[in-house]
Amino acid sequence: MSLINFFSKNTETIIEYSGNHFTLVLWAVGISLLIWVPTGLLLTKSDKWAARVLALANTIFCIPSLSMFAILVTIPTFGLGRKSALFALVLYAMMPLIRSVYDGVKNVDRNVIEAAKGMGMSTGRILREILVPLGIPIIFAGFRITVVMTTGIAAIATYIGERNLGRFISEGLVRSNTPMMVTGALIISVIAIGLDTLLGLIEKRIVPKGLRVTR
Amino acid sequence: MSWENFRVAIFDKAPDALFVHATIVLVTIMIAILISIPLGVFLSRPKYKRFGLITLNLLNILQAIPGIAVIALALPILGLGMKPAVVALLFQSLLPIVRNTIAGLMGVSPDVKEAAGGMGMSQRRILFEVEIPLAMPIILSGIRTATVYVVSIGTLAALIGAGGLGNLIIGGLSLFRPEYLLVGAGLGAIMAISLDRLLSYLEYRITPPGMRVE
Amino acid sequence: MIELEKITKKYPGQAVPAVDQLTLSMPEGEICVLVGPSGCGKSTILRMINRMIEPTTGVVKINGHDVTNTDSDQLRMGIGYVIQQIGLLPHRTIAENIAIVPRLYKWPKEKIKKRVEELIVMMGLDLEKTWGKYPSQLSGGQMQRVGVARAMAVDPPIMLMDEPFGAVDPIARTHLQDELLRLQKEIKKTIVFVTHDINEAIKMGDRIAIFDAGKLVQFGTPEEILTHPVNEFVENFIGHDRVVKKLNLYQVEDAMHPVQCVVRENEWQNVAQTLKDAGTEVAFVSDQAGKVLGHITLSDALELGGDVEGFKKRVLETKKAFVQSTTPLPDALSLLLEYNSDFLGILRGEKLCGMLSFKDIRNHVYKKEGE
Repeated sequence: MSLINFFSKNTETIIEYSGNHFTLVLWAVGISLLIWVPTGLLLTKSDKWAARVLALANTIFCIPSLSMFAILVTIPTFGLGRKSALFALVLYAMMPLIRSVYDGVKNVDRNVIEAAKGMGMSTGRILREILVPLGIPIIFAGFRITVVMTTGIAAIATYIGERNLGRFISEGLVRSNTPMMVTGALIISVIAIGLDTLLGLIEKRIVPKGLRVTR
Repeated sequence: MSWENFRVAIFDKAPDALFVHATIVLVTIMIAILISIPLGVFLSRPKYKRFGLITLNLLNILQAIPGIAVIALALPILGLGMKPAVVALLFQSLLPIVRNTIAGLMGVSPDVKEAAGGMGMSQRRILFEVEIPLAMPIILSGIRTATVYVVSIGTLAALIGAGGLGNLIIGGLSLFRPEYLLVGAGLGAIMAISLDRLLSYLEYRITPPGMRVE
Repeated sequence: MIELEKITKKYPGQAVPAVDQLTLSMPEGEICVLVGPSGCGKSTILRMINRMIEPTTGVVKINGHDVTNTDSDQLRMGIGYVIQQIGLLPHRTIAENIAIVPRLYKWPKEKIKKRVEELIVMMGLDLEKTWGKYPSQLSGGQMQRVGVARAMAVDPPIMLMDEPFGAVDPIARTHLQDELLRLQKEIKKTIVFVTHDINEAIKMGDRIAIFDAGKLVQFGTPEEILTHPVNEFVENFIGHDRVVKKLNLYQVEDAMHPVQCVVRENEWQNVAQTLKDAGTEVAFVSDQAGKVLGHITLSDALELGGDVEGFKKRVLETKKAFVQSTTPLPDALSLLLEYNSDFLGILRGEKLCGMLSFKDIRNHVYKKEGE
């Protein structure tokens, strides 16, 4: 009951926080795609660099998100606010995105590429017509993880000043306002599960037909 | 920043916080392993395959819930303290281990199992002497994922009074004491990274030389 | 005509070049087989022709033009390329796979469709059933047919085939080999064919180049190589059944000799005398209509004397000892052993045109050995 009450009384705030949350996630995912997808593609050219960069991404990924935000806050150029939040989220997205792009492309049968090259397909064409369509299921899985993860971690950015859905939780905790806290947690959970399910459905459809059929 | 604050953070606050954090992680992972591996073994038996799919989907959904939301939802249901925190963390550490246990066991070549059966090994023996050892590296990799996750979300457990390194960070944030914050955050990062390294080394050691990639 | 001029390929960090100062020219319209143990550089050579690998030094010329003058993609579009692992695009249908190079050439849709259909039929695949399928729905042999069809899509004058039939089962392999040879009679492409199997090399090659550790050891027709292996390496590579392998190159008409004596069934009493007069040791026996029934040797005739039934029986025992003139020599040899007979009658259609004995085979091989 108190949940519904809270909901109806604070509709405006909920909309405002959701909006903030979404824009942060959108920016973070957008920037991450722009940086990490090309990086992942580039890394397929050098196994040595791939190992190094993936190890780095993996290490960054291990850092607890609260720690990451906290550390960034102490760095003068970042401080409290959106810059730190974005930077942290983009860093977290490095691991799933680079890894999936790299794996997706590397997973494509080398003989297919060899044959295509031997028939005179240009590098750009091979990328467009072979590597991307064949790698897309794995790449998309990485994208899905990134989106869901970013949605969750973005909530923690409330502790460094983001006014988003995480704020309901932090405020609710401080003020012992259970309905507020639960509302925040539920909204975030529903969004995350919804996004995960939706992207999961797309992921299944995106697999090229030739890879789904057998003799 | 002052040295005095650093000293207090490192020598007075950190040992306790680190101990609590380690306890939370250790207890959670131990319980998670005790539940997940038998569950994974059970669900990978051909008879219960359908059941396995449902369970995996359920755990997948649980996994999608952001850590901070899990912690927030645990409070009104389970109350304050370390126990609720462990239960909350437990929920989300199950999936990686169960999933990898199933994947690892399914990945054992049917030929190997058949050969073992052909030599007169019972199903039980095959499980313990063939399947589990061969699946171990993958299972361990699931445990590693879960551990890193629990260390990370464990910092949020401070929000519901479980203590740990999160106390230093959140305390530091609210009191504007960067020294506390850095010590807590740094230790959290170091703990996660070193556990990740340690477990991946174990993973490497446990993999039979003939099966190592690279 | 493909000419390799002093080609050397040295990979970084390798002490010995993969290909060392190779000069070789492959005539137009022939199948040239590059053969050798694994790691001998044969695939590297093949891949330098379509610039999948660039030589460290040396020039590759096609019809007198240095290949490096052509853009590598353009060059490859004009050369058929078949690899052992086939490399069909798994997300494209069979028709789309075959259409890849025509599409690169921007052929009109109708023309592509027609050509694809033509190729599917030419490769002996079922048009309706194969057209829309994906590679994963085909067997290994079928996939390799598609691989060959895809390489021939724009009718390139040159085809490079890197162990094309190495991954299919032996029966399918024999099939594919036979079909390629049959096709080659019509299409007359310049084919460079890499294999590690000397038997395949002998079967497929108009010319064979044998390599060892990046060096050309011997280049010649299968006959030349089987007859005069230049050194111990080639001898060992061919195997100790070298002479038996050589038999594969010939048909019975190459080795047979003319029949000297044919008798009618009713002339049996005089056979021994006839043979003695003719100075030969075997007579073929025909019925009244002139159809050959079998043969009888001088020693048998003498032994039997006047036994009519025994004579007929002996002749009938040899009624299967006939082969067509185009039969491969090894098959004839096998039949000689199988029938425990000293002679085979050679037929051209129904007509007796010669005979073959162990001695003929030996003489033929001996003559070809030129020793």
